[in-house]
Amino acid sequence: MSAATNPYPPSRSGWLKNNAGWLALTLLLLALPFLAALLDGQTPANVLASETGNAKFMQGLLIEVFILAIYAISYDLILGVTGLLSFGHAMFFAVGAYATGIALKTMGWGLGQTLLAVIVASIVQALLFALVLPRVKGITFALVTLGLASVFSIVVRSSDLAAYTGADVGLQGVIVPALLNTNTARFRFYVIALLATVLVYLVYRRFVDSPTGRVCIAIRENENRALMLGYNTFTFKLVALLLSSAAAAFAGMLHALHQPIVSPNVASLGYTVAALLMILIGGVGTLSGALFGAAVFRLLEFFLDRWFGEIANSLLGLIYIGLVMFLPYGIVGTWRARSFQIKQGWDRLLRLLHLQHRAP
Amino acid sequence: MPDEIILETRHLRREFGALVAVADVTMQVKARSLHSIIGPNGAGKTTFFNLLSGNIPPTGGQVLFKGQDITNLPLHRTAHLGIGRSFQITNIFPNLTVLENIRLACQALGKDNFRLFQSHRRFRQYEERAWVVAAQVGLQERALMPARTLPHGDQRKLELGMILAPDPELLLLDEPTAGMASEQVPELLALIQQIQAAGQKTVMLVEHNMNVVMSVSDRITVMHQGRVLAEGAPAEIAANETVQTAYLGGLYEISGQ
Repeated sequence: MSAATNPYPPSRSGWLKNNAGWLALTLLLLALPFLAALLDGQTPANVLASETGNAKFMQGLLIEVFILAIYAISYDLILGVTGLLSFGHAMFFAVGAYATGIALKTMGWGLGQTLLAVIVASIVQALLFALVLPRVKGITFALVTLGLASVFSIVVRSSDLAAYTGADVGLQGVIVPALLNTNTARFRFYVIALLATVLVYLVYRRFVDSPTGRVCIAIRENENRALMLGYNTFTFKLVALLLSSAAAAFAGMLHALHQPIVSPNVASLGYTVAALLMILIGGVGTLSGALFGAAVFRLLEFFLDRWFGEIANSLLGLIYIGLVMFLPYGIVGTWRARSFQIKQGWDRLLRLLHLQHRAP
Repeated sequence: MPDEIILETRHLRREFGALVAVADVTMQVKARSLHSIIGPNGAGKTTFFNLLSGNIPPTGGQVLFKGQDITNLPLHRTAHLGIGRSFQITNIFPNLTVLENIRLACQALGKDNFRLFQSHRRFRQYEERAWVVAAQVGLQERALMPARTLPHGDQRKLELGMILAPDPELLLLDEPTAGMASEQVPELLALIQQIQAAGQKTVMLVEHNMNVVMSVSDRITVMHQGRVLAEGAPAEIAANETVQTAYLGGLYEISGQ
């Protein structure tokens, strides 16, 4: 037996160097409200004071993008990374939104208690999904989760619970504490939403790279083989569900605070499809794709609606068809695939030149 | 303990509706031997293997591994006992690299599966072991290629590597040479023999290529219609008239022995 040693030891290049692009993007997003204000003739002080203007409006739009990004990336973790086809992801988001709305409005709780309630609710719903996990796989799991989410949607719409959920109208005018009031402290909310997105992305990326995350990928690739290797795949899927549910519920909480309305639409199938669309645009299983997907999704929707009005939806449909046709692996996925091809071609060329050089 | 029994079945039985795929198979496998199971298509070899590894539950009987009843053990527990199983149809993680396939096999039995927020590359022992195994099965050069891009023969080697990685005592190989180009077969068999001899391992092999089995096995069990037709050393099996008439029936040519 040859004592082989690892010819590719892990690189020790710095974290900052590897993430320079992300750092720059984060800093740019932090500076963006001020730049917009300067272009608009306002001062940075106006931004901090949440004064009405383009800067404030743009922050509002980007906060929505951040919230959708967290929601989309949480879907990518279970669908793209672990391979769990869930059609009930809207529920993960809606539970966070409703828990926040009910805690703040109906119960009159403070922010700390509300956050606690959201965390508890997110754990409970992940466990609920996990309950059916060992029994159904693939498309059956999709249908069962769709069923669970539909039940939740029907429950929040039911008039019997109107005192808590507001039934068909939802929760109007959630009372948001001054600390996180998006109207009077918009820049603070903007920074919190941005940093939350960055944090979720970093935590998820690290998770996918961890021994546990690698097993989740193996489960997506071939669950039976993972079982035969000795992994109790249920536990790994449960971990992925818990992490996904936590981020999605937190996104729901931010949504409820930002709007500050909780509409029953967030519990509908359409909201799951939105998450699916965002990760399809960005690239399934890439994590960062979910962030770009959310930005494209929300900004396209907004600008098309503004410029074209009624026909915006038809245009959106056409653009999505085009995206799927020309970027089959999404923005990030296609870019990764192509960059590998380019690198391969480059390597081949170099090898060829090397051979020519050696030739007599 | 030269005659130590590592694996034993007692009246093992599996029915699929009216079809009896495995009917009351009682057999013993000696530790550190290379034991082959042969039989025509539909003899119940693969079903028998699935019962041994726990992929399907038996409808009757017992499987004992080193004296311990493992009949109804969950699938993911068998690997922890030291049993590795390969499949007739290549069963790997297609989009992961060759190395990652093997590394995951190494990690499975370690204690670091629930380090949620540390990079997997910090747990060097699995990666180092994966390189050793990759070299052992001759895939070192291709270790960083996605497994799906490998030619079929190399994928079979990879699967063998994934089973070897956690250093099991018993290897269940279901037609390891299936679909391989005939010139690659001796190489793989030599590898299996070498692994078995060097690592003091027990190997059970399902094959329907007689020539393969005759040259490498210590012991052969012939199955026919779900039952054990004969058992013995290769020479005995080759000379056995029941086997000749009932199974070989002139269809297979036995060379060598």
